[in-house]
Amino acid sequence: MVLQKREKKVLFAVRFRCEIGQGMGVSPFRHLTGQWHVFCLFNQTMKSAALKIKFTSQNKSFADVVGIEIGAALPQGIPAVRVCKREGKTELVAADFLKLPGELPQTPEGISAPPAWLLPRAFQAPHAALTLTSQLVFLRHASSANEETEENKKFPYRTVSRVLAQDLPPLSAGIPDFQAAWAAHLLPEGRPPTACSLQVSPAAAINTFIASPVFGSLSGTAVVLFVFPRYTAFAAFHDFRLVLYREHMVGYAHIRETVSDQMHVDQSLTDSILSDTLIDPTPMIEPLLRSLFRQIEISYDYLTRRRNCQTDNFFICGLPFSTTYWSALFSRMLNLTLKTFHPFEGLERAPRASVCDLSANESLLMTALGAARAVLEDEPT
Amino acid sequence: MKTPLHLNLLKEEEHFSSSPVRLRVMMPTAAVFVALCSIAWFFLLVGKVHTQAHLNEKLKQAVASITPVYAAVLDSRAQEQEYRAMARQLGIYTNSRILFGESLSLIAARVPSCIQFTEMRIPQPTLADPAHPSAAPTNRFEQVFLRISGRTSGDHPSEAVNTLLAELRTPVFTNLLRSVSIPKGAFRQDNARSASNRDTLLFEITCECQPRRFE
Repeated sequence: MVLQKREKKVLFAVRFRCEIGQGMGVSPFRHLTGQWHVFCLFNQTMKSAALKIKFTSQNKSFADVVGIEIGAALPQGIPAVRVCKREGKTELVAADFLKLPGELPQTPEGISAPPAWLLPRAFQAPHAALTLTSQLVFLRHASSANEETEENKKFPYRTVSRVLAQDLPPLSAGIPDFQAAWAAHLLPEGRPPTACSLQVSPAAAINTFIASPVFGSLSGTAVVLFVFPRYTAFAAFHDFRLVLYREHMVGYAHIRETVSDQMHVDQSLTDSILSDTLIDPTPMIEPLLRSLFRQIEISYDYLTRRRNCQTDNFFICGLPFSTTYWSALFSRMLNLTLKTFHPFEGLERAPRASVCDLSANESLLMTALGAARAVLEDEPT
Repeated sequence: MKTPLHLNLLKEEEHFSSSPVRLRVMMPTAAVFVALCSIAWFFLLVGKVHTQAHLNEKLKQAVASITPVYAAVLDSRAQEQEYRAMARQLGIYTNSRILFGESLSLIAARVPSCIQFTEMRIPQPTLADPAHPSAAPTNRFEQVFLRISGRTSGDHPSEAVNTLLAELRTPVFTNLLRSVSIPKGAFRQDNARSASNRDTLLFEITCECQPRRFE
């Protein structure tokens, strides 16, 4: 039986709501999706529920949002970026690392009451978009948002999925419920900002590219490599839509550790070596990058052959150092140019903006910016 | 068309308001405040009712205790009113008293020697309803008459009576007597006596006195 458009919407709303609300990752209505005659009866009784879902969903646009990355565990502090929309243009109001108490719990047993954060005045937007960086969060294509994995066997997860294309499995994001609940209560009620969104860090980072002017100027297919400390995310866009997302378990922290181990130097000196050209670290990092780029090549082949998405636009972002070595090796291996994407490029600064040194820190602030821009650019439903 | 990848995992109940004035807080606060006000008002009302009942009881006791005194006071006041009315009446009577003594003492010197008064009488005023006489005069004025009866003899009895009349009309008596006259038939021969006394004439003078004023 062909689903009517409105019925599809209701089904999606119910599933979406249940997946968000249940936390256990098992929808009580899952068994109904294959039995349409049951659902037709069910649909009549759920009209009020659908109405409720419509009312309770996020149905207002935000014009002033601060993005905060929780769990990055950076020595500089917690990355926070405030952006606002004035007369259709997005402006950067503040960007810095904040010294705020609390550490993201890694197990449900080790959870403690979240501290009440009071942000500096420059970051006190009415709303906050939180993004979680944790080894426990995930973003991946999944056949079902509620499929049982190693993670959600251990503890309850909040999951949400988005259908990107009809012939692709939906993209699913998940956060352990204890981490989500802890993060959601960091910003107390009654003073700005309060949380309006909770995202996973790779999804937030993808939004920096979607919201950038570079993305608007591209046509056809584009691939962006978002480099995080422990993994690199491969995101392919076709006709302004995300068509493929993959994660490869090589990040810039691995590069740093390899160089540090092989050269017997500490982290700060390693960063300096990887940023300068005095020492060529290519022999040390090449084995790691080669395995990564091999995976990228496979994904690129998949795009070209299976999805007929030929692309020459390759971008990389999120690297705090050694971008030139990555680009050089990428060109050598794939015979393609890897351009650097700057997340803050094209973003105008508001009058009296309070912004730290972006050239040195833009990769670390990328995720916070992406979370804020996802909320800012999201159209009200 | 750029569509952001906004995968929001925040639950609806975790959307907090940044406004310091929160309906979620203000509503229970207002409800508690109203409830507390209602309870306070109820206790005030109960207290007031209790006080009023207590006061009512005390007033009833007070009324019960002063009722005999009040009745006595009412009696005393009625008695006082009565006595006051009596005193007023007595005052009125005192004021209405006509003093005849001084004038009558002056008459003796002015009565001719041939005249002998046989009677001086002030008749009682005529009652409007003799069957039911009133306790006090109903008019503020009362006509008072002085009737003098006497006899005269001698050569000129008429003149002697007229002289008496004239004397009675002099200003010496006008303070008392307004008019003096001999009613028709009141000047006559004394038939009751012996023949030797046939020249004796009886007369009767009616004097209208100044009216009695009950004021």
